[in-house]
Amino acid sequence: MADDATRKAVSEIPLLKTNSGPRDKELWVQRLREEYLAPIKYVENNKAADNDWFRLESNKEGTRWFGKCWYIHDLLKYEFDIEFDIPVTYPTTAPEVAIPELDGKTAKMYRGGKICLTDHFKPLWARNVPKFGLAHLMALGLGPWLAVEIPDLISKGLITHREQQGS
Amino acid sequence: MAAAWDEIRRLAADFQRAQFADTVQRLSERNCIEIVAKLIEEKKLDVLHTVDGKEYITPSQISREIKDELYAHGGRVNIVDLQKIINVDWVHVEARANDITRSDRNIQLVLGQLIDKNYLDQIAEEVNDKLQEAGMVNIPELCKIHDLPGDFLTEELSKRIGKILHGQMDEFNRGVIFTPAFVSRHRARIRGLFSAVTRPTSVSNMIAVYGFQEHLLYSILEELVNTDRLKGTVVGGRQDKALYIPDIYSKTQNTWVDSFLKQNGYLEFDALIRLGIPDAVSYIKKRFKSSKLLFLRAACVGQALVDQVEASVEEAVNSATWTDVQPILPSCLSMEDVGIIINEAMRTTNVQSTARVLGDTVVVSEKFISNCLALFDEAMQHKAQKEVKNNPVFLITEEDLKLGSIMTESTAPSKKEKREAERRKKTTEGSGCKGGGGGCNAREVRVRKTKKKTRRDDDSDEEAAVTPQNRNKHTEVPFMALEEIVAVLEERVCDCPEEVLCELAEHLLRFPVSISTYQEVVRTVFMSSTSSTTGVTKKRSVKDFQEELSNLYNNIRLFEKGTKLFSDETQVHIAKHVLKTVCTDVTNILVNFMAAELMMSVENPNSITNEVRLKILGKLPEETRGPLMKVHNSLNGKAIEDFLTSIETAVEVCGFMLKKGDKKRERKALFLHRQALVEQLKEAEDPALILHLTSVLLFQASTNCMLHAPGRCVPQIIGTLVGRISEEQHRLLTGYQALVVKHLVSQSQGKKREQGEGDSQKEGDEEEAIRKELVSLTSEVKDLVLSQKTTSGAEE
Repeated sequence: MADDATRKAVSEIPLLKTNSGPRDKELWVQRLREEYLAPIKYVENNKAADNDWFRLESNKEGTRWFGKCWYIHDLLKYEFDIEFDIPVTYPTTAPEVAIPELDGKTAKMYRGGKICLTDHFKPLWARNVPKFGLAHLMALGLGPWLAVEIPDLISKGLITHREQQGS
Repeated sequence: MAAAWDEIRRLAADFQRAQFADTVQRLSERNCIEIVAKLIEEKKLDVLHTVDGKEYITPSQISREIKDELYAHGGRVNIVDLQKIINVDWVHVEARANDITRSDRNIQLVLGQLIDKNYLDQIAEEVNDKLQEAGMVNIPELCKIHDLPGDFLTEELSKRIGKILHGQMDEFNRGVIFTPAFVSRHRARIRGLFSAVTRPTSVSNMIAVYGFQEHLLYSILEELVNTDRLKGTVVGGRQDKALYIPDIYSKTQNTWVDSFLKQNGYLEFDALIRLGIPDAVSYIKKRFKSSKLLFLRAACVGQALVDQVEASVEEAVNSATWTDVQPILPSCLSMEDVGIIINEAMRTTNVQSTARVLGDTVVVSEKFISNCLALFDEAMQHKAQKEVKNNPVFLITEEDLKLGSIMTESTAPSKKEKREAERRKKTTEGSGCKGGGGGCNAREVRVRKTKKKTRRDDDSDEEAAVTPQNRNKHTEVPFMALEEIVAVLEERVCDCPEEVLCELAEHLLRFPVSISTYQEVVRTVFMSSTSSTTGVTKKRSVKDFQEELSNLYNNIRLFEKGTKLFSDETQVHIAKHVLKTVCTDVTNILVNFMAAELMMSVENPNSITNEVRLKILGKLPEETRGPLMKVHNSLNGKAIEDFLTSIETAVEVCGFMLKKGDKKRERKALFLHRQALVEQLKEAEDPALILHLTSVLLFQASTNCMLHAPGRCVPQIIGTLVGRISEEQHRLLTGYQALVVKHLVSQSQGKKREQGEGDSQKEGDEEEAIRKELVSLTSEVKDLVLSQKTTSGAEE
C-alpha cells in the first residue's frame, strides 16, 4: 500500500484507545483529547523531518475540521483548502476529506470535492478501529492522494501555480 | 465536564501552536556549499571560508577579529599566529592585515607582525627605564630582545626621544642611545685617560681595556683634540688601527731622530720603526727635506759620512794603496748598503776606472794591483823554468798546437785526457821504482819526485777548489795555487785582512794579464831550454850513449844469469823486479834519446813513467815506434829474455849497436856492481837494507853472479847461500834476519799502537832490546861482507 516513508510516519503517530463518537458525550471528550494529541505529535514529527504539509483546526465541539494542505512540485508550492466533518458513526466510519477547489477536476473525487480514497484505505481503517484517528487519516488518506493526483493534475494543466496565475 | 472541554480547548491551542511553529529548514551540507559557492561566484556574497571548511566568514569580520586579537595580544601579533587563531587562509589574513595598516596609521606591519603604537610606546618606556638605569642602551641589543629590525626600532625610538626616552642618540652611530650623564661621564674618563697617555697608543686597545663606547669615544676624542683640550693627534681615522699620538711623544721622537742623525751621521730605518715610526723613509724625507741624505737599503746616511768615505777612497787611489771603508762606516750597515755607499763615493770621486772594490768593503787602486802583479814576475820566471825542465811533454801538446810545426802526426790528446793522465801519474808516482837499482841515481830521483809531488798536491788542492774559470786556466799551465799567491802577498803586503788577500789573489789569478804573461814566460823559457837541450844531446856523442846502453844491457844479462839460480817462483819475482827497475831505465834512456830529436826530451830520463813513455812513443815516427812499443810492452811481462830480444831489435832500429859483453867486460861489470853495493853498504844504517845488501853481496861472492832482487826475496837468497858460506856465517845471517823481521813487525805494531791507544811499557822495552841487539849485530854482519871482500879480492 503506502511507501516506506509513509509507513514510518504512521508508525510514529500515537494510537488512540477510546472508541467513541461525537454522540457519546463524555467519552467523545476523551476521544477528542486523544484525537488532538495524535496530530500534534504527527505535525511535530513532520516538522522535524522537514515534511510539514498541512494546517488543521476544528470547531469547538471537534466535529468539524478545516484547514489547508500543500504540495510542492517542481519547486512550486500548490496550496489547497481542506474541510471535513466527523461522521456520526465515527470512529467506525472514516471521515471524508474534501478539497472544494478541485471539485470537478479529477475523476478521483466525489461530488462536493470529497476525495475518493483508495481501496486500501477503507479496509485498513476498518481493521484499525478505534486505534486510527484523524492523524492517520491525513497520513494514509489525504497524503498519498495528493502525491498521486496533484502532479497528474498539474501535468494536465488543470491546476496552475497561483503566483503564475497572478502574473 | 467543563474541565474536560477546557482541556480540549487547550489541546486545540497546542495543536495550532505545533502547526505554526517554525519548520526546521533542512539543507544538505553539499547543497549549502554549492549555494554559497554559487553566491560567491555571482559576487552576491563576499565571504571567506575557514581553513577547516566549517565556517564562512566575511572580510570585515576578519578585520575586526584581527584588531581584536591585536588588542588581546598587547599590541603585537604575528600574522602566522593570527592565521591560526582566525583560521582562514594566510593570504586573506595578510591581505586584511595590509588593509588595516593602510587604513589605520597606528598599526604597522613589521616582519610579518602587526604592531600598534601602544606597543611601541610601551617598548620605548621599557627602553627608557633601561637607559636611565644603565646610562646607555644598544639598539642592536634591543633588537635582539624585542626581535625587531634595527632600522625600524631606531626610527621608532628616535621619534620618541625627548618624549618618552630621555637621552640622546649618537649622531654618528644611530645604534646607541645615551643619557647626558653617561656621555659626560665618558667624556671625563676619555679626557683623563688620553691626557695621561705619553706614547702612541692604539685607540682600539684603549677601548678593549677601559670599555669605552667606540663611537662615543671617537667623537669625543675628536672634539677634545680639535678644541686643543688634548695635545695630540689621532692617526688612522675611525678604524681599528686608529692611533693616538700625543704631541709630547712626537716631539721627543723628533728630537731623538735629530740628535741621532747629528751625532752619528746616519739613521737606521729599523731604529725608527722601533721608535714607532711606521714609514721611516717618508718620515725622514719629510723631516730632513733640506739636508742631503743618501738613502740605502736599510738606512740613510748623512753627507758627512759620505764625504769621509769619498776622502778615504780618493786617498787610496792617489797613493796607490788600498783602504778599508768598513771602520769608517757605522757597524749596523749591511754589506749591501756599504757597497752602495762605496759605489756612490767612487762615482762622485770619479775613480771607477782606477780603483776596484774587493771583499765588499775594501777599495783597492788599480795601481796597487799592478804593483802586486809585478811581485810575481820573478817567481814566474823561476817557475816556468822549473816547469819546462820537469815535464816538457805536458807543454808539448800546448806548444805543438801553437807552433804546429814539428809534429807531423798531431795526435794530441784532448785536454781532458791529458789532465786525466796527469792525475794518474800523480797516483802512480808513489809506487815508482824503489830499491834504487841504478845506485846513487835513484836517490836523487826520489828527492826530485817528492818535490814535484808537493807541488802537484798544491795543484790538486787548487783543483779541488776550482771555480769554473780556474778550471779553464788549469788546462793551461798552472802558475801558482791560490794559497801560494796569498802567502806571497801576505809577505809583501802587510796588514791586509785575509779575505781581501784571498780576493786579491783570486783577482790576480783571474787577471788575464797574469796568465798570459805567465804563458808567455813559459813559452820563452821552454823554447830556450829545448834548443839548449837539443844542443846538448847532439853534442853528447852517439858513442857515449851507445856505451851506456851496452853497459846496462850487459848488466841485465848478468842479472838474468843470477836469477836463473833460483827456484821458479823466486825467479819470476826477481825477473819482474829487474824489468821494473833496470830494464825500465834502459827503455827510458832509449826513448828519451829518441824524444830528444823531437824536442821533448826530459832532463832526467828516469822520471819518465809509463804514461809519459806511451805519449812520447805515440809521437815517434812509425818505424821506431813499433819496436819501441814492443819493448814497452815487454816491460810489463815476466821474462827478462823477452825484454832483451825486443830491446835488441829496438836498438838496432834506432840505429845503435849493442856491444855484446865478453869475459873481461863481464868481470869489470861484476866488480863495478860489487863496488857500488859495498859503498852503499858502508853507508847503510837501516838493518833491513844492510841485510839486503849483505845477502846480495854474499850471493855474488859465492856464485860469481850479479843479482838484482827485491827486498822480499832476501829469505830466498839467504836460503840459496846455505852450503856456500860457513855454518857460522849462515847462522849469523839467519839470526840477523829474524831480528830484522821482529823489528819490522814491532815497528808496524808500534805504529798501530800509536794510532790506537797508549803503548805498554813492556813492548816498548822489547822493541828497545831488539834494536840494541840489531845494532850490536850490524857491524858483525857488515864485516861478513867487508872482510870477505879482502878474501874474495885475494881470491881474485
